[in-house]
This record gives sequence, structure tokens and C-alpha cells, in this order.
Amino acid sequence: MKPRLWLAAFIVPLGLIIAAVPQNTTHPYKLSAPELLSEVNTRTQFITPETVADMIVKKDPVLQLIDVRSQDEFEKFSLTGAINIPLTDLLSDQNVDLFDQDVKMNVFYANSTLMANEAWMIIRQLGYTNIYVLEGGLNYWFDVILNPKQPSSTSSDEELARYDFRRSVSQALGGGPTLLENNENTASPAPRPAIKSIPKKKKAAGGC
Amino acid sequence: MGPLAINEIISENTNFFLAFIIGIAFGFVLEASGFSSSRKLAGMFYGYDTVVLKVFFTGAITAMLGMLFFSLFDWIDLDLVYVNPTYLTSAITGGVIMGAGFIIGGYCPGTSFCGASIGKIDALIFIVGLFIGVSLFGAGFNWWNGMYMAKFLGSPKISEFFGLTDGVFALILILIALGMFRVAEWAEKKFPREEY
Repeated sequence: MKPRLWLAAFIVPLGLIIAAVPQNTTHPYKLSAPELLSEVNTRTQFITPETVADMIVKKDPVLQLIDVRSQDEFEKFSLTGAINIPLTDLLSDQNVDLFDQDVKMNVFYANSTLMANEAWMIIRQLGYTNIYVLEGGLNYWFDVILNPKQPSSTSSDEELARYDFRRSVSQALGGGPTLLENNENTASPAPRPAIKSIPKKKKAAGGC
Repeated sequence: MGPLAINEIISENTNFFLAFIIGIAFGFVLEASGFSSSRKLAGMFYGYDTVVLKVFFTGAITAMLGMLFFSLFDWIDLDLVYVNPTYLTSAITGGVIMGAGFIIGGYCPGTSFCGASIGKIDALIFIVGLFIGVSLFGAGFNWWNGMYMAKFLGSPKISEFFGLTDGVFALILILIALGMFRVAEWAEKKFPREEY
């Protein structure tokens, strides 16, 4: 028998085995520190409140909001359709399926961006894609989506369009229980106005 | 002895000593397999002797399989294995220069020292050329620095590029290697050379 056939008889079955078994993915970190730093520097993880609000209103099935605050806080107020994964439970087994997919956009949020960023960094390090952070957190969300400030009349058209959008979204989303005191619209539930989308600026989505 | 030295299980001096021993063993095997003969090495390019292709490709696919199985058994974390970063322009340019030198001189850098150690004159001259090349590269580095650093791609993997798992790519590479061995043996019959 020729050496080549000996080699083939030995090495092809090994190749078949290694091709058939799933890749070992138990290694903790998929991104090197420089890669992560580059993502942090370019702020690719952030998604603007407007984009999220637009998706919520349109009931975009791709959006998966994840509230990383404690359960108490989540029950007091949460964004529409959000699920609660407190930071302490982030790595529990049942959450793996949530992150290990390419379809949904997982958007972390907390009161500010700190905890959401912590969650993002851990999950991103594990190599999962489609992980984002709500820019500014809930505090910023209240400021710009639920209580948008009217821009001065000299503002640019874009600024005014954004305000229009924010106001209509604010009315559509109605605000949570914490907003009842300071939202005059909720006193008389008016028919919800149609949402005018602001022209989207394409943003390079994160991932790789 | 990568992980042993980095994790300070062995000292740097022990590391050098082990490198010395391994180097001697490697050189011995290289010489014993006939890799100190420039005619044998250059035979690769003319088709009459393809042992270089067979040895190095067998080495590559064996190491590849070994690493993948080690990873499967959790003995090694492939993400921590250093992969040379790719600078595409200099990789192609260097490959062309290296290949041309290989055909003209009949040696690659490692085998030239292997040949020189048993007193081959062509190997000694090859080494002189090698040092001239290294000196020119170093002296003129400012001139080709831009090209040298151009087209940086990070550390990409072919399997990632094609969207395959490492295992499937390994199998494909094994089949390609075996196909090449077949072609190589056909070439050896087709372009025989009596004495070299």
C-alpha cells in the first residue's frame, strides 16, 4: 500500500470526525481586548432612543429589550415588551438561547448606561452578536421620548422633525406609571396620533 | 515552549535551552530526510521531486487535526493561540520574493542553514545572500514602511471567511492535500530525473 493511501486511511476519518463534531465553544472570551476596545471607541453598541421607540411603536419583532435592573425596579416601570434579566442572573443557562442567535436585536437598558454597558461587555466578550445598549438609558429615554422639550422656533428642520417624532411617540407609548403625574396628555386619553417617522440615518450596525 | 514560558513554569533560560535541543533535533531530522539538498528542494518546482510539498502539507494537516482535537478535548484554548497578523500587501510581496529566491537558490532560510551545517557551498552562498537581503530590508525600511504595513486584516481565518466551521474547513483541506499528493506523484512519474 502506498504511503499516500496509508495517510488517507488514517487522516480522512479523523477529518470526518472533526468536521462532524460541534466546535468547542466553551472558551470564555471570543473577542480580544483590542477588538473590544475598538468597539467601545466607535460606540457601535449604542442604539438611539428614537430607533428603539420607533421599533416599539411598529411592534418590530426583531427588537428584544432586556432590562438588567432588579426585578423590583422592572415591575415599577419597564419599556413595552421588555424582559427582565437582572445583571446577577445574566449568565444563567436559560439565557444562553436568548443571546446565541442571529435574528433578534438584544438591547440592554438600565437607568443609565452603566449596568447595560456592563451586561453588553460581558455578553459581547462571549462572542454573541446583535447585542446593543440603549443610549443614555431610561433617564435619557424620559428626557427625549416621554417628555421631549420643544426646540426653539429657530431650530433646524431636522430638529423640529425629531421633536414631532418624539412627541407623537410619547403619546403613542403613553408613558409608564411613573409618568402619570407629569404627563398632561394622560388626563384625557385622546386618540393616538399617527407616528411620523424621522428619516433614518443609516448607522453602521455593530457585530463584527 | 509557549505556555510553559509565558506562565513562568519554566525560566527563560530553560526555554532557550529547550529551544536549542529542539532546534538540533529539528535540524537533524531535516538533514536526514534530505532537505539539505538544494536539488531535492528545487525539484518541487520542476516536478521531479515533490517531497517538500508532501512533508510540509502532511505536517500542516497533522498539526491542524491535533490542534482541533486538543480544542475538542478542552486541552487547549485556540482563541489564545497566537496567529500572525495579516498584512496582505507585504504577505503577497514577501511570498513572491521568497518563492523566487527558493527557485533560484534552491533553499528556504531554514534548510539553507541545514545545508550549511554539512558544508554545502551553495547553502553557504545562499546564506550570504540572505544576510544581504536582510541588511537591505533593514537599511531601507523607511522607504517600504508604508507598503509593509498596508492592507492590515487583523488575524482572519479562512474558515471564517467562507463561513465554515473549523472542522469542515479542516476536512476540505485534508481532501485538497490528498488530491495534491496524487498530482505530485503523477508529476514525479511524468518528469523523472535520474540523478540529483
